[in-house]
Amino acid sequence: MNERVEKRSMGLKASRALSNTIIYILLIIMSVIWLIPFVCIVLQSFRVESTWQVGYVIPQQWGFDNYIKLWETNFPKWYLNTFIIALVVAVVQTIIVLCMSYTLSRFRFKMRAGLMRFMLILGMFPGMLAMIILYRVLDDLGMTGNNSLPGLILVYVASSGMGYYVSKGFFDTIPKSLDEAARVDGATRAQVLNKIILPLAKPIVIYTILTAFMGPWGDFVFARYVSQLKPLGMNVAVGLQSWLATDTMTFNNYTLFCAGGVIVALPVAILFMCLQRYYVEGVTGGAVKG
Amino acid sequence: MKKYSDLEFLALSKGKKFLYKLASFFASIPRGVANLFLAIGRFFKKLGIGIGKEFAEIVTTFTRGDWKTKLSYPVMGFGSIARGQVLRGLLFLLFEAVFFVYMFVPIGSKTGAQWLSLLPTLGKVGPHMEYNAVLDTHYPVYGDNSFKILLYGVLTLFFIVAFIYTWRLNVKQNKISEDILRSGKKLKSSGDDLRSLVDEQFYKTLLALPLLGIVVFTVMPIVFMILVAFTNYDGAHNGYSNSLFTWVGMENFKTMFSWDVGGVNYAATFGEVLSWTLIWAFFATFTNYFLGIFVAMMINKKGNHLKKMWRTILILTIAIPQFISLLYVSRMFSINGLVNGALQSLHLTTAPIDFWGTPKLARIMVIIINIWIGIPYLMLIATGILMNIPADLYESSRIDGANPWQQFTKITLPYMLFITGPYLLTSFTGNMNNFNVIYLLTGGGPTNPAASGTAGTVGYTDLLITWLFKITTGSETKYYLASVVGILVFVVVAIISLIVYSLLPSVKNEEDFQ
Amino acid sequence: MASVKLTKVKKIYDNKVVAVHDFDLDIKDKEFVVFVGPSGCGKSTTLRMIAGLEDISEGTVEIDGEVVNDLQPKDRGIAMVFQNYALYPHMTVYDNIAFSLRLQKVPEDVIYEKVTNAAEILGITDYLLRKPRALSGGQRQRVAIGRAMVRNSKVFLMDEPLSNLDAKLRNQMRAEIILLRQKLDTTFIYVTHDQTEAMTLADRIVIMKDGYIMQVGTPEECFDMPKNLFVAEFIGAPKMNVLKTELVKEGGKYYVKPFGVKLEVTGEKGHLLAEKNIDSREVILGVRPEHIVLAKEGEPGAIPVVLEVNEMMGSELHLHVFTEDGTRLIVRVPTIDLTHEQRENMVNGHKLFITFEGKVMHFFDPETEKNFLTDEA
Repeated sequence: MNERVEKRSMGLKASRALSNTIIYILLIIMSVIWLIPFVCIVLQSFRVESTWQVGYVIPQQWGFDNYIKLWETNFPKWYLNTFIIALVVAVVQTIIVLCMSYTLSRFRFKMRAGLMRFMLILGMFPGMLAMIILYRVLDDLGMTGNNSLPGLILVYVASSGMGYYVSKGFFDTIPKSLDEAARVDGATRAQVLNKIILPLAKPIVIYTILTAFMGPWGDFVFARYVSQLKPLGMNVAVGLQSWLATDTMTFNNYTLFCAGGVIVALPVAILFMCLQRYYVEGVTGGAVKG
Repeated sequence: MKKYSDLEFLALSKGKKFLYKLASFFASIPRGVANLFLAIGRFFKKLGIGIGKEFAEIVTTFTRGDWKTKLSYPVMGFGSIARGQVLRGLLFLLFEAVFFVYMFVPIGSKTGAQWLSLLPTLGKVGPHMEYNAVLDTHYPVYGDNSFKILLYGVLTLFFIVAFIYTWRLNVKQNKISEDILRSGKKLKSSGDDLRSLVDEQFYKTLLALPLLGIVVFTVMPIVFMILVAFTNYDGAHNGYSNSLFTWVGMENFKTMFSWDVGGVNYAATFGEVLSWTLIWAFFATFTNYFLGIFVAMMINKKGNHLKKMWRTILILTIAIPQFISLLYVSRMFSINGLVNGALQSLHLTTAPIDFWGTPKLARIMVIIINIWIGIPYLMLIATGILMNIPADLYESSRIDGANPWQQFTKITLPYMLFITGPYLLTSFTGNMNNFNVIYLLTGGGPTNPAASGTAGTVGYTDLLITWLFKITTGSETKYYLASVVGILVFVVVAIISLIVYSLLPSVKNEEDFQ
Repeated sequence: MASVKLTKVKKIYDNKVVAVHDFDLDIKDKEFVVFVGPSGCGKSTTLRMIAGLEDISEGTVEIDGEVVNDLQPKDRGIAMVFQNYALYPHMTVYDNIAFSLRLQKVPEDVIYEKVTNAAEILGITDYLLRKPRALSGGQRQRVAIGRAMVRNSKVFLMDEPLSNLDAKLRNQMRAEIILLRQKLDTTFIYVTHDQTEAMTLADRIVIMKDGYIMQVGTPEECFDMPKNLFVAEFIGAPKMNVLKTELVKEGGKYYVKPFGVKLEVTGEKGHLLAEKNIDSREVILGVRPEHIVLAKEGEPGAIPVVLEVNEMMGSELHLHVFTEDGTRLIVRVPTIDLTHEQRENMVNGHKLFITFEGKVMHFFDPETEKNFLTDEA
């Protein structure tokens, strides 16, 4: 009897160790796959001997040439464009999203359900569809092409109220009795928002700012429409893509693209990694809340 | 179909239970459809009754109202001003003034009424050459602008609806004020009105800006684009400088669904792109979903000491702007890219593999690379949910004798599916419209020769959304076709959502999650 | 210091569900009124309408003679303690209590005095700099009360304030609320689902069911003279025994005939029956467990029963018995009345005899379930 128990527990331990080893091996393989592209892009950005794609990873000649060359292109302008847009969008979009989600979470007004259903249906139309006309209108207002900055900001910010789901889900988890207590204590609805809800909603505020800030760095479609590939109006995504648009261009610009990519990714990634706790909270909460 | 009671159902064998469920699902479809139509019928009935009631109330308010109320019918806000609610009254009056100025005073080239009158034709006088006797030359003259007519026509319609609504509000306001005064209470002052905008009416303040943005930048453009689907607006008919465009009725939809339009088969192309879009969305959603759960479980397994490190490595793909990783990975797999280089130097292949040039391979590659992009998100989400599964569920199942696999299939998976049902739906429709992954990886390629002649250069990995993009940015910009595709995307998404909503209990009730 | 008057107050939700029907109540200045009833009876809704947290669909609420229907909660002169305390998690205890005063722009030195004063009364002075999450349930409860205290409100509203506490703490806090009431000397409206709390705290109890008021009265009235079967069964623990039987009038005297025995109705209830000149009729007879006594075999009125479950409560026994026709009854016997041997014998299946006290029986109409001895009937 005792022997069997011992045997079993030995088996249990052994199998656990085995499964852990397998898991470690799997995870190590995964990590390598996940990291390879990033390692490669960094290494190739330091390659000096050629500007085109090659079949090896380690540069034969190292140097900062690509980074220096970036300064002579329109890249700094694209970078500045994107940075300004991202800053403005981060502020305005956050305000709009918070207004929307707080209202839908806390107020029960007549049109509430209808409004939410309407936005749900509206969201089923591809957003790109609206761009066709928005481009013409913005063009009339002179906000496209090389002067795309205000146009792009408008486009990003204007409809951001529709992305209220995640933060509404968070607000829903803050007990309503806190609002009620504060209202009995003499707070107006605006004071409830400022003094009670916002301090408690710090994680979701940071999440909203973070995603709003990162959005413009990765947007391709809208920037492509509004900038119409004019050299000074592009953001980094459209700009860097334009360097690889054809085979000849790829031949000339490949390592330059790598360097640009690194410059774009670095600050964004660092910011993201610092605030990832909030991001994770928002993403998981958002998925659960729908 | 025979209906079983609960106890009878429980006594059925496993197979019969399944058959019974299947049968009752299909049996419920006609009823569901009937209910849908009944609901639509009820809606219109309610609408009719509602409108009737509104009219009756408008009339009775007028006949029973005092002179202040009566004067408010032509002069909006008069009653409010006369009763001391100056702020409200002035706002009404201001709105009325703006409306009439817009409608009847030409600002720019035309009045609102003129725009509206041109809407049915979208313009009569196109660009043409005129003879100038003094200079003795022909020079171009531009007439109407179809684009602007459609745009301002829609705007005017919106404005008129808003005006009617506001006017109704103005009438109602008079009735309410009269009722309040009659019951001997005081009306709210302008100060009260302002104060209430940060208190009980705070939601109006909060919603004003977001909703304005949505109406102007989403609703109106979508209405406009839906209308474009019924015109011949394209690069060759841009409505101003080369040629006017005009209404063509259902012509564009007919084109999209016909097998032969001047030798071009639109229907087949649409079918091909739609089916790939659905296949893509299915695989992109579910491969990520299950692999994400799997990875999350590996990382969170008891005894794994480097949880944080694994997670950080994966999160890196989220942290780095997607277009960089997508563009880079796409080039890694190109003919002269790193992967082919590595394969050849390891002597695994002799000739480079054309990952993006062969239709099947390209399709498989986008799905695989999408897994690389998507797993980190799903890992995060799954981790969050796994942590929330009550531990006693696992403990009690272990006492009941479940092994790890059974625990996964009987507890973890049902729990995950239930919680993430809504997420799966949005993720599916999101993947249908996943422009970035497809466009930045393959640009839609490789080109599908069977689709040549249709708008844009349709490729084997093109989704409806990338096709739409190509139609509007290519050499010939068939905007009308783009809006047809856009409307069809909406239809497909709406149908899928409706089906899922009716099947999933957890999506239905928003309050259930609170 | 204020009276509260509710006139025909009604709550209808958007989905047409009526939560409260024509609620009429006059609460006097400094009165302690408890709304009690099972969950979903509308008691909290009514309280929240008084507070201004729910819209009043119909009727009026007056505080101190002023109709407050359209006033915001903050303008009604009320203070409220919530079931889950609703303490602001990001503020210290001090800031929590000071919050309402700060909104009123009270000078900081006055705030300091008021907050420390309240803290002293409630015994939470040591925790003033802590955040709510570092407090125990009882301490949080005190903070919530403190927050309501400093407002100097005319009416003090409490929505199930003790239901999140464990049994021992609940008893302690109940006593403290009585003390607090003596100190504050203001109008209290208190909501609970626990009849013990209602009985111990209230000047007057309002018993509700499905949105209707079942009875309004002092704890004694509700206990001694329940207006209907619902109140009779709701107030008192263990629950009142009820059975259908016949009320017989014979020679100016009244008898009931449960289980084939004949028991005379004596005392006040007998007088009332005679006064109202009730005829013989079918009734629902209600007898509280403490008004059933053990009897000896052969004694007139003795009903043979079999013991099913014996709950030993310490000072008393709760005997669950069933009669020959299978009716289940609960009998409450003080332990002190029993000999050691008798107690030993109280095991499952033991046969014993019981009888009902004639002077404390309750009668209800089988149709309307109303007590036909109360005035309105």
